[in-house]
Amino acid sequence: MNLAFKDIRFNLLRFLLTALGVAFLMMSSMGMVGLYRGIVADALLIIERIGADQWVVQGGRQGPFSEGSAISSTLDRRVEGIAGVASARRFVQFSQQFTLHGRQLRASVTGLDFPKDPGRWIPIVRGRLLASGHYEAVADMSIGLRLGEMVHLGQDDYTVIGLTRGMVDTGGDGLLFVTVNDAVAIAQRRTSEEVLLARAGAGPAAASRSSVPQDSKIAAVLVTLNPAVDPEMVRRAASSWGDVNVLSRTEQENLLLNQRLWRLRVQILAFTGVLLVVTCIVVSLIIYMLTMENLHEIAMLKLIGADNSVIIVMIAQQAFLIGASGLGFGLMLSRLVFPFFPRKVLILPGDVALLGIAVAVICAFASLLGISRALKVRAQEVLS
Amino acid sequence: MSDRVVSPAVARGAVASPPPVLSIRDVQRFYRSGDTTVRALDGVSLDIHRGEVVGISGPSGSGKSTLLLIAGLLEPPSAGEVLIDGRRVSYPAADLDRLRTFRRNHIGFIFQKANLIPFLTAVENVALALEIDHVPPRAARAYAGALLASLDLGHRLDNHPSRLSGGEQQRVAVARALANAPSLLLADEPTAALDSVRGRQVLQLFREIARTRQAAVAVVTHDQRALDLFDRTIELSDGRTRDVAMHGTPGAAGTH
Repeated sequence: MNLAFKDIRFNLLRFLLTALGVAFLMMSSMGMVGLYRGIVADALLIIERIGADQWVVQGGRQGPFSEGSAISSTLDRRVEGIAGVASARRFVQFSQQFTLHGRQLRASVTGLDFPKDPGRWIPIVRGRLLASGHYEAVADMSIGLRLGEMVHLGQDDYTVIGLTRGMVDTGGDGLLFVTVNDAVAIAQRRTSEEVLLARAGAGPAAASRSSVPQDSKIAAVLVTLNPAVDPEMVRRAASSWGDVNVLSRTEQENLLLNQRLWRLRVQILAFTGVLLVVTCIVVSLIIYMLTMENLHEIAMLKLIGADNSVIIVMIAQQAFLIGASGLGFGLMLSRLVFPFFPRKVLILPGDVALLGIAVAVICAFASLLGISRALKVRAQEVLS
Repeated sequence: MSDRVVSPAVARGAVASPPPVLSIRDVQRFYRSGDTTVRALDGVSLDIHRGEVVGISGPSGSGKSTLLLIAGLLEPPSAGEVLIDGRRVSYPAADLDRLRTFRRNHIGFIFQKANLIPFLTAVENVALALEIDHVPPRAARAYAGALLASLDLGHRLDNHPSRLSGGEQQRVAVARALANAPSLLLADEPTAALDSVRGRQVLQLFREIARTRQAAVAVVTHDQRALDLFDRTIELSDGRTRDVAMHGTPGAAGTH
């Protein structure tokens, strides 16, 4: 006879409410881990999808994600001349805020070196890729733009001809793909006041400059290497010019994860740890209180001669059932709720498995608390 | 109560039969309370034989419950010894936790409250006592059902305790106490929560059990109306046996 199941079936509502409480804790833990995974995935998204073997950036800098980078708009031609380089594309990305139908929208404008790079690596969910050198845009759905909608950026209007899902930058802003030339034009937008101020401060020569620190808006050149070429050879060749720095894809990923996002990652992981400790305390208290509620029955079991193993199995099974149900409900809640969150929450099977192990450890600890109390109960307490 | 219901424990030959079933010899029990020593029992001796129903009465604090705890192997005596079925099982400093299996197979308990496990049905409450004794679940349930039917609870097998009346709960508790065919039944105020008619029915049930199962039954009671149903009544006062009144068959009575 399975006493744990009998008790749970008899007090089903209490069990369900308890499991639901644990489920919300599990959902929070999963959410924190998922948020961490989402931030990492978002950060690496463009680096992984864009498919560059090397990033040629401004000399002495580690851009364009970790710090600013501005290179000559014709650097791609120089890079194409290095032996072993299959292709070189210009890359530009910057955040842009704009108004549409009275709504304030925000996007990360990303330049595609059209026609060399029409953006075949972009996962289109509706519409099509860029087919023209100007005034077309592919927008991520998170920006809030619809297919066919026109948006005014810089001095021009752009038509949304394609939509993507889940294409965001490290800050969570949806990507808006336009051609590199359009992106540069959007970035060089200046207000009349800016032009006048620039003229007043530095004379007519300065008035033609951009209001942003660098003249060029091109941040990097993305290099695709021939399969047989030694990447170090290409790096040495480009570095010898003195005005550029060359980063591999792995270095770019490391820079993002271990420098730019380092504090955020540690913060989220630390908070996940705190949540697990809270879960441990709450589950332990629940199991302990359940044991306290059943003390009379436990004394009765001892009185009628039940071995300690009967009592231990009952408490441990209840603890693990609460933990397993909490994890299951938590997973279901996560799948229902997290898609509505503004940032990506990525629940990976491996993380769920690790959380399952953590829950098992927590339940084992909670069981020990309950069992140690139950084993102290004396059979004669039935009479009290 | 049917004579035909045979316990799996009986079928395994687990019940020994040398009389007396319970023998308490010069038992003392002291409790320390600060600097003073409280003598709960002070040299009590008692034998209860097979088929005998013995009442134990006395005012509050006379030591009745302590005597029951010591006889039931739930507390060790401070001095003296307890023999069950001729085996010396309890004495000062005895490790009673190790006697759990012995208690399971030799002693049945019934209390003022039925103390049924609330999340188990009537038949499960009884079957649990058997399953704990390693009887297979199906056989345990079948025997528990038969036992409850013999106590006129055949129609209540699948009811939880909360759906049973006080008298029905007490009968389920009796069935649970009988499940492992114990040679000794210890009852602590089993009729206190029942009206006089139902209380008398429970005591008559004990008589029937003592007769048909040849069990020794000790009943702690305040109920003066049912004294005629006991073979003997032992009165305790200040931890000592004050009086032994004979009601039943003279040959069955033990002495102080």
